[in-house]
Amino acid sequence: MVVDYTKIGVAEIMTRDVVTVIEETTIEDLLELFGTYHYHSYPVVTETGELSGIISEDIVLEILLFDRLPASGHTHLSAVRSLGDDASGIMMPYPVTVSPDTSLSETADLMLRHRVDRVCVTDSGKLIGILSKRDIVNEICKRRD
Amino acid sequence: MHALLALLLIIFLAKVFGELVERAGFPSILGEIAAGIVFGLLFLRPESDVLLFFSELGAIFLLFTAGYKEINLRELKTASRTALIPTISQVLLAFSFGFLIGRIFDFSQMASLFIGVAFSITSIGVSVRTLIDLNYLSKKIGSTMLASAILDDLIGIFMLTVVISIATYQQIPSGMEILVIAVRMICFIAIMTVLGRGVFPVLFTYIHRMRVKESIFAFVVVVALFSAYLAEAFGLHAVIGAFIGGVCLSSVPLAKIEDVQSKVSGIAYGIFIPIFFAFIGLSVDLVAMQTAGLFTLLVIVMALSGKLIGGFIGARIAGFDSYDSLIFGAGVMPRAGIELVVIAAGMEIGIIDDEIFSAIVLMIAISVIVTPVLLKFAIKLKETRITPESEAQQA
Repeated sequence: MVVDYTKIGVAEIMTRDVVTVIEETTIEDLLELFGTYHYHSYPVVTETGELSGIISEDIVLEILLFDRLPASGHTHLSAVRSLGDDASGIMMPYPVTVSPDTSLSETADLMLRHRVDRVCVTDSGKLIGILSKRDIVNEICKRRD
Repeated sequence: MHALLALLLIIFLAKVFGELVERAGFPSILGEIAAGIVFGLLFLRPESDVLLFFSELGAIFLLFTAGYKEINLRELKTASRTALIPTISQVLLAFSFGFLIGRIFDFSQMASLFIGVAFSITSIGVSVRTLIDLNYLSKKIGSTMLASAILDDLIGIFMLTVVISIATYQQIPSGMEILVIAVRMICFIAIMTVLGRGVFPVLFTYIHRMRVKESIFAFVVVVALFSAYLAEAFGLHAVIGAFIGGVCLSSVPLAKIEDVQSKVSGIAYGIFIPIFFAFIGLSVDLVAMQTAGLFTLLVIVMALSGKLIGGFIGARIAGFDSYDSLIFGAGVMPRAGIELVVIAAGMEIGIIDDEIFSAIVLMIAISVIVTPVLLKFAIKLKETRITPESEAQQA
């Protein structure tokens, strides 16, 4: 049977138990989190659960290696980030989001064409899940079986 | 010279010279300007419209990426709380020194205003490297300097907007004319705000579904060019429009996908911006610089001391001690990218002549070389004068 991926919403396959951090999470706690879990990025949420940004491995690497980067890498933004003492100070604001009813094929298309590795799923601004390329591949393999 | 050959040589020289200078510990912009000077010496000044056009695109993309990638609107609130007084002080004094030197040497009021604006803007990149090396970036004075640089850029771009708008009148405009300029500015900003808040976020949700290749990247470039064009239609300069266009896109998630940012950065810093800096070097008139020895010397001295003294006074008023205030003053001395846009714009509309242009380019180069030395000296001075015992006493 041919599966119509345009009819599958991301809400069906997204990871709902997302490991998140709040804006006030300290850098030390964040680094510990990266050591504990194998995730590539962590969404940052407000106290009311609204998504405010995302912290990826790239950002953490940039902060950890900031003083060893060549001078051309010292942009104003990266310098400000290197001084951040909590999640809100270093996060990348305005992450890419999709709504829960966005189709799997549309999301996969977005990820492939614009090299986005994962998207946050939000409902009225609140984070309700996250979807990675791995989740999509797993789902497709499962349905092929 | 064939335009293609000129372009390839300019990009090649800019990248090679930029790398050499970067490896010597200075910002690549110096190498890119030097590439233009060398190109001019080797091949004379090619009257190429293509180079000029690419250089204009470079200025547009320099300001666009500043708004698109570097401005974080949330930061502005914190910045204005911590660094407003020191920033106003250093900008005001540097501007006054610039205006004054223009008037002393009998340049027109408009040219003097341009010199003032070119004196006012700081480019913090050079200082950041020194602050990191001496472990001062995370100290209060380091973060104040960073905050000051954000405000400084915005004040500088605002001043450029005003100066270019009134430059079209070739003299200080009357009250009515100032009102017209203000209305035009407000209309442009209002249109861009509506587009940034209401139109662009929706537009990009459609753009990302387009089937053609690189749709998001293409439309980010379209927004950059559109905002630059719209600004000109409102009598403002294209670079100001590009900056505001960049700020408008900075909070649109689909326009800020990392892959897209990387492509925008690629065409900006890989091609257009080095051509702009090299074109600045190409436009430097070495003969004019030599003949205007005293003027050039005073431009350098006044531009550096304006920031140093203004920064020192502002930091003292804000409550820093004399040593930290000296560090602040030295740290805000360097000039680079946006200042070059200011003088290029002044030259383009015929307000700034070769003499002023060349003197300011030299001042920018000197400021970039001198700042790390002076900043290190100021930090060492603080460390040698303030012993651990006296620090404990102060606490």
